[in-house]
Amino acid sequence: MLEIKNLHASIDGKEILRGINLTVNAGEVHAIMGPNGSGKSTLSNVIAGRDGYEITQGTVTYKGENLLQLKAEERAQRGVFLAFQYPVEIPGVSNIYLLKAALNAVRKYQGLDDLDAIDFLTLVRSKLELVKMDEEFLHRGVNEGFSGGEKKRNEILQMALLEPSLAILDETDSGLDIDALKTVSDGVNALRSSDRSIVMITHYQRLLDYIVPDFVHVLSEGQIVKTGGKELALELEAKGYSWVNKNA
Amino acid sequence: MPKSKRLTELATPFASVVVELEQETSFVKELRGNALAQFNSYGLPAKKEEDWKYTSLWGFSQQQFSHQAIPHTVSQAQTEQLALLKQAYRVVIVDGVFSNELSQIDNLPTGLTVSSLAEGLASVQSHLGGQINIEKAGFNALNTMLMNDGVVITVAKGINIEQPIELLVINSGATENLATHLRNVIVLEENSQVTVIEHYVGLSDIQYLTNVVTEVVLAKSAELTHYKLQQESENAFHIATLAASQAAHSQWKTNSISLGAKLARNDVHTQLLGEQAHVVMDGLYLLNNKQHSDFHTRIDHAVPNTTSEELFKGVIDDKGHGVFNGKVIVHKDAQKTDSNQQNHNLLLSRNCEIDSKPELEIYADDVKCAHGSTVGQMNEDHLFFLRTRGLDEVSARNLLTYAFAVEVLERIPAGDIRKALSAVVEQRLPQGGQ
Ligand SMILES: Nc1ncnc2c1ncn2[C@@H]1O[C@H](COP(=O)(O)OP(=O)(O)O)[C@@H](O)[C@H]1O
Ligand SMILES: [Mg+2]
Repeated sequence: MLEIKNLHASIDGKEILRGINLTVNAGEVHAIMGPNGSGKSTLSNVIAGRDGYEITQGTVTYKGENLLQLKAEERAQRGVFLAFQYPVEIPGVSNIYLLKAALNAVRKYQGLDDLDAIDFLTLVRSKLELVKMDEEFLHRGVNEGFSGGEKKRNEILQMALLEPSLAILDETDSGLDIDALKTVSDGVNALRSSDRSIVMITHYQRLLDYIVPDFVHVLSEGQIVKTGGKELALELEAKGYSWVNKNA
Repeated sequence: MPKSKRLTELATPFASVVVELEQETSFVKELRGNALAQFNSYGLPAKKEEDWKYTSLWGFSQQQFSHQAIPHTVSQAQTEQLALLKQAYRVVIVDGVFSNELSQIDNLPTGLTVSSLAEGLASVQSHLGGQINIEKAGFNALNTMLMNDGVVITVAKGINIEQPIELLVINSGATENLATHLRNVIVLEENSQVTVIEHYVGLSDIQYLTNVVTEVVLAKSAELTHYKLQQESENAFHIATLAASQAAHSQWKTNSISLGAKLARNDVHTQLLGEQAHVVMDGLYLLNNKQHSDFHTRIDHAVPNTTSEELFKGVIDDKGHGVFNGKVIVHKDAQKTDSNQQNHNLLLSRNCEIDSKPELEIYADDVKCAHGSTVGQMNEDHLFFLRTRGLDEVSARNLLTYAFAVEVLERIPAGDIRKALSAVVEQRLPQGGQ
């Protein structure tokens, strides 16, 4: 699904990713943990195709294609999805308009017609239920006046609708209370399948109680310094990030 | 100010044009005479004047305007198509002349009168010229000298008119450099309500001048909802003054959407003269190519306990130039004034320009006056977000541009008018991006 080899990325001449190697196969769930500033969001942005990063070395391959030469929208249309750490508020664009435009963009790439209004609404309603969101949210501006938890749920709603092949969740758990965390996790778990991969970026072990990963990686100063199974997260929680740095 | 410093040397000798309405009263003749004297001594405003600092009339002053329209007919079907609203009383003016045939004002409800300037003038004569200043205001003077048509609307005490009135002003394109000077007068008696839309349309790409003054008088507790949609030809000059005076408890909601013309200048002014008078003054300007739009607004809070809300937004592309100057004057003793003025601008190209200037003059101490003015570019985070959801860059930019502008439209009550105006705005937004 995703193969990252020796990826180096800088911004304004400052190197932030310093040789990332990561292979994610179809059906796997990977967790990437690491202290603030270690480069987690940078890695997600580079995979999703944000402009402004300079890739100085390395490759990113997605379903056999060189991901780095595709535009952000082309990646999205091919099934790459990023749930943002800080979802943006866009007054003036209604949630339902966004969902429709996004779904139709993906369907167009797949050679499918736009969904008609009734089928679309039926589909959206089923996804709203999954993330326990009220229909009223559809008619508000994107994330406009949403609480932190509602914003994160809205990201999962978009993901559930678009059914990506590769989902990157950038600290989707941070700022959630336990109920919201459970709802969001249920939403993610419902999407787990043998042809879909999930990369969860998180600061805390707690999320991994709900979404159990196949692999855990520790990112530190732009490099993956340790990889293990889900027990690595517990060890990390107990000993702190300084433990990995010392062992690196 | 000495004559030579102003644009008195005009290519068109406006002062030699003679206009007279049917059965013109001596009152009107006198108004014209005074205006002529003013125009002769001051001419058109020059760039040195603070109010015209960012809008040059040099190009305008070099034009040869004509006051003789070549007769041209516009069909009923065409007006039907051009009109913003299907369900409305409609007044149609073609090339500066009121058209009885095309207007649909036959079955007016009791308490509402709608007529041409010549016909309706007698009933509103006491208000004529009362809302505007002709001293050192070249276009107002010019308009008063040369006003030849327009519409007069009156609503009687206590009457609530449900159906809106659309004033459709068409330039047919038949006459090169036609200058028209329209005067509209809208008078609402106590406790009456009506909705009026001024709608200016050019059917060609020729150069012409629309010089219009709309005077609004709101008696106690009257409510006027007013829209102006400006879709003049891309080479037109559109110069407009919209001026109101508001008695106690009256409400004026006005929203100007400026899309057309090569040069558009709008002066929007109200005087809140009675307690609890309220104004909502909104506007939207979308500029591309080399379009120039200048909104000068002024709200006078003359007595205590009056409120104003103002939101103007601009989307400026290519080599467009936008000007917003918003004056709010809180007069001495106008305590408990509550006013909020916002002007926000979105710049879509490197070559466009905006001059935004809030101007608050406050002579009372117990007041709430907020204001904000911003100039910004497309938000890159928003753009990236939409692209990660599969929208291509052009669609994402267009969507964000619309989202920026739509705030002004969302202040219009939901219904046919909002729908129609939104559709017009949507159509006019950049397609094809950078
Ligand atoms: N636009 C930027 N310009 C300069 N430095 C940046 C920028 N974005 C991130 N960084 C820096 O890159 C490093 C990694 O940031 P980030 O990827 O956001 O870390 P994390 O998500 O792991 O907290 C930090 O030192 C941060 O300050
Ligand atoms: Mg981060």
